Amino acid sequence: MAGSLTFALRRLLLAVPVLLGVVFIVMLTLELVPGDAVAMMLGEHATKAAVDRLREHLGLDKPLLVRYAQYVGQLARGDLGRSIIQNRPVVDELADTWPATLELTVAALLIAALVGVPAGVVSAVRPNSSFDALARLGSLFGLSMPVFWTGLVLIVLFSLWLPWLPVGGRGSLAHLVLPAVALALPSIAMLARLTRSSVLEVLHEDYVRTARAKGLQELAVVVKHGLRNALLPIVTLVGIQAGQLMGGAVLTETVFAWPGLGRLMVKAIFARDYVLLQGAVLVFALAFVLVNLLVDLSYGLLDPRISRQG
Amino acid sequence: MKRGGARLATPLALLAAALALGALATPAAAQKRGGTLTIVRPTDPVSLDPHYETTAPGAWVYSNILESLIAIDEKLELHPKLATSWDVISPTRVRFKLRPGVRFHDGTPLDAAAVKFTLDRALKGTPPGRWASLAGPLAGAEVVDDLTVDVVTSEPFGPILRSLALVYAGIVSPTAVVKAGPDFSRAPVGTGPFKFVEWKTNTHVILERFADYWGDKAPLDRVVFRVLPEEGARMIALQTGDADMVLFPSPIQLAALRRDPKFAVHEATGLRVVFVGMHAKQPPLDDVRVRSALLHAVDLKAILANILEGAALPARGVLAPGVFGFKDMRLDQLYPFDRGRAKALLAQAGWNPGPDGVMQKGGQRLTLTWLAARGRYPKDGEITEAVQAMLRDVGVEAKVEWREWASAFTQFRGDPLSFHLFTLGWVTSSTDADSSLYPLFHSRQLPPGGWNTSRYANARVDTLVEQARRSLNQGERERLYGEAQDLLAKDMVWIPIYNTKEIVATRASVKGFGVHPVEYFLPLGKVWLDR
Repeated sequence: MAGSLTFALRRLLLAVPVLLGVVFIVMLTLELVPGDAVAMMLGEHATKAAVDRLREHLGLDKPLLVRYAQYVGQLARGDLGRSIIQNRPVVDELADTWPATLELTVAALLIAALVGVPAGVVSAVRPNSSFDALARLGSLFGLSMPVFWTGLVLIVLFSLWLPWLPVGGRGSLAHLVLPAVALALPSIAMLARLTRSSVLEVLHEDYVRTARAKGLQELAVVVKHGLRNALLPIVTLVGIQAGQLMGGAVLTETVFAWPGLGRLMVKAIFARDYVLLQGAVLVFALAFVLVNLLVDLSYGLLDPRISRQG
Repeated sequence: MKRGGARLATPLALLAAALALGALATPAAAQKRGGTLTIVRPTDPVSLDPHYETTAPGAWVYSNILESLIAIDEKLELHPKLATSWDVISPTRVRFKLRPGVRFHDGTPLDAAAVKFTLDRALKGTPPGRWASLAGPLAGAEVVDDLTVDVVTSEPFGPILRSLALVYAGIVSPTAVVKAGPDFSRAPVGTGPFKFVEWKTNTHVILERFADYWGDKAPLDRVVFRVLPEEGARMIALQTGDADMVLFPSPIQLAALRRDPKFAVHEATGLRVVFVGMHAKQPPLDDVRVRSALLHAVDLKAILANILEGAALPARGVLAPGVFGFKDMRLDQLYPFDRGRAKALLAQAGWNPGPDGVMQKGGQRLTLTWLAARGRYPKDGEITEAVQAMLRDVGVEAKVEWREWASAFTQFRGDPLSFHLFTLGWVTSSTDADSSLYPLFHSRQLPPGGWNTSRYANARVDTLVEQARRSLNQGERERLYGEAQDLLAKDMVWIPIYNTKEIVATRASVKGFGVHPVEYFLPLGKVWLDR
């Protein structure tokens, strides 16, 4: 246990240079892509003088490295700065959007795990059955349909034809259902396929035959001996999915008007608001680091052979 | 006689019956009070303070919270608002009498000091407001007495009254600005028919009726602005009743909505002209015959019917009808779609068909470069492609370079501009010809200072737009702008494509609503719900 703690602490400390590097890359990228935050903000009618004056006021006339140093200095004091376009503390913007993203990600992951894993197990136990065929067809569908299409179809089905759920926005649990399902679909498909193949593989192992020979119930064989040993790659995939869902939910957020981080980032990119973008990217990067850490720690729990000592 | 009388009696009886029915129908149409109007639109505001946002998503909301000295109505005529009257007392000074007894939503009174505070904050603040560039030589205000204020300009400025009617020039409560600091932009306080209640980022903005409003109080209890970025989802929200009003409705569905008695489609002629600009200093476009040939080559009717599907009007010049100073350039008569004439003009300029159909002159092909973005203006990408194909039909090869808007924007503002053609739009936001003709066609308004991206230079046009800018005689100004547009029509450095329509779809129960031609206004003070 103490070993796991040191491991976790070391990993978190390692995250610091990672985050600083991320900040620098984001800043450099926005510097390199053409487009000027101040000119965009003031629009077509702005005079050159007005653009220059505002640029100076915002400190955007300073060289990249100076701004980087200033930003890191601010970060060290726990200050994420103010959004360039909105003149609002980035912390407030993040506080408005981050819970929505977390809520959607957790809900989608739960749905993906609760549907995808059992479906995969059943497919593995009864390979080439009609359920398996159906599940594999469903997986293909889930993986290949873009969310802006499935999302709209879900809205037409469950908001327009069967007026059960609201069209978009965030609020009650009812608001969460459609975006979470739409976001979960590709993950369900991926999890089902991975679970099927890894359980199938494990079920051919000698110890499974032994368990069966011991006279264990089939359910116990599949769950305790099969699924448990197949879980490692599945947990890894869930971790990767968690990271992707947090960052890749822009389309889902757009279709369902979900006020999350993805849309915030897109807005920041189009406006070239690097301060706002930095804040959002930092949150993503931090979340990614944390999820990866959790996945690594869970390996130790799932498989006692993977030790964190030394 | 008898028969004649009887003949006359029948229509009279019918008329009387119709009148009686009309009288019966009237009470049903009487205004009802109360209710919440839910509006869905694609984007959240950046800010609810004109100091920080000059684009429509913010302005739609704050134009209901803040009011200007002068109002501009749906016919683009000026009316008293917070000022009851005004006098031009010198070429650089207009004196306003303020409406007595007006209170801000925070209870403080509207007075001359508040007007001075608002203008000083916008024009002289550090930094100045985002709209300061639109205010021209507007310099500030001076308090004469409690309810009298002088607005001064640094030089004579013809469009001054229209500039003060801009949505951005809404008077803010000085007390609230000082108290809230930067947070004022998320909780604005003005004198308008609605007051601010709540803003949840990317979710909703809520307003409610201001009970102490100085004029006719708003019939609605509340207005909820919701964000729904997806066009399809917005249309579904209107059908399910989740929304009463949709901004930016899907053009394809408008015809069906018009047929359905449950919905209403409201529209007005907008103030934006979307065009293909031509760089008049870049050969071969420095030859007016080549420019004219390109205009003749474009089939506007086909573009309007097949690409815009009725969601826009054919451009009638470089200005939108309704703008002060607009003159119809009669482009359909001056430059009718005629490939034969286009080719003849090119031949006059020395360009003749080469082996592959592309025009040539002295072994050089007629190839034009084109800077374009996609998605900045309705259907801009499709229009660029269509015009490109139409030019090919008269032997002009156009090579389009696609850029994302922010990077295209930097290029448009750059000097030099190395492209022959560019797809752009321009809104005359002040509703005065000055804010188009001066920055776009004056020879000294070159980028990055101005927006003369065509590098148009005509000394007579320079004189005309300068004179019109400095004159306070509106009749004279109209004449000057007319002459300038006549000259522009001959020199033509644009291929004007379409004039925007402002379109809003509502449920039929939404009454008393009219679309404003200025895309930044969304007047809700008279709207009521019949349900």
